[in-house]
Amino acid sequence: MGLSGCSLSPFNRQPAAPTGLGAESRQQPALSGDGRLLASLVDRGGRTTVILQERRSGRVLPLRQLRNRQPHSSPSLSWNGRYLALLVQQGGRRQAVIEDRATGQQHPLFLPAAQEPQQLSLAPDGQSIALELINGGSRRLQVFSLAGMLEPDRAPGLRESGGGTPLQP
Amino acid sequence: MSKRTCISAGLWVGALALLLAGCQGGLRPIQQLNQPLSGLGDSQSPSLNSDWLALISSRAGSRAQVQLIDRRRNAPVPLPGLNRPDSLPISVAVDQQGERLALVRQRDDRSELVIHRRSLQASQTVPIEPAGVPQRVSLSADGRVLAVEVSRAGLWQVDLLELP
Repeated sequence: MGLSGCSLSPFNRQPAAPTGLGAESRQQPALSGDGRLLASLVDRGGRTTVILQERRSGRVLPLRQLRNRQPHSSPSLSWNGRYLALLVQQGGRRQAVIEDRATGQQHPLFLPAAQEPQQLSLAPDGQSIALELINGGSRRLQVFSLAGMLEPDRAPGLRESGGGTPLQP
Repeated sequence: MSKRTCISAGLWVGALALLLAGCQGGLRPIQQLNQPLSGLGDSQSPSLNSDWLALISSRAGSRAQVQLIDRRRNAPVPLPGLNRPDSLPISVAVDQQGERLALVRQRDDRSELVIHRRSLQASQTVPIEPAGVPQRVSLSADGRVLAVEVSRAGLWQVDLLELP
């Protein structure tokens, strides 16, 4: 879907591309660092599910590893969209996981039992993550290093390592 | 307890801490950043990149505020012109340069979307068209694209804006 260019507003605006199921609710948008990809939450058979799309074309990209772990929430993408971090359901708890789209690996992030993640933000380079945690009724942010766990996913020209199979265009 | 017993117990505690850290799937807290964060009171709505962390913090008895932490100094930077006494921040996002912040805030019983340029100390309200109630915002790290969750007629939608 192209951008509408005939607005008096200085901003070029467009609705997010449809997902092929008609009018449906879309929530919690998250853009890749380069703005090429959009992750958002939709309802699939009564279960809140993350979908990943190319922002301009609306093409939906597969996220096979995340099936059957709904409800999903708080998606966050790295610079080129290699990594998708989000909260999934694991047993009776929410768990933060990072899916590596290049290798198909999934990295669960284990937290102390008393801490329940509510929201997260993955740094675009994939080297750190901020988690909003509920502990004893208070909401606190904690930032964790992912260096050594994930290869950096930096803007072209800043990439230190490739790794894995090429991402889907 | 003898000095030797104390040292031995300390070593065991240290070893246990290292073991637990190793069991967290490679997740290591960044203490030099978490320390100033713990002093901000309740905090939520993180937006992280390699140099900046934007968030909303609130202390008991005071109004919630947008904070921007400079990760190179692990300290908040001033945000003149952004936090207003008549508004309540709901969601915030920052670009890689720490120059643009996108903010959804409640003001006069209305929710509004705002782009703030730090170098200009200026905020610009972005109209929601068609009309709707913005809630959660995401800004691409390159600062060029903004995605905002908008409630319209009982349906949540996502609007995308390319920024000039």
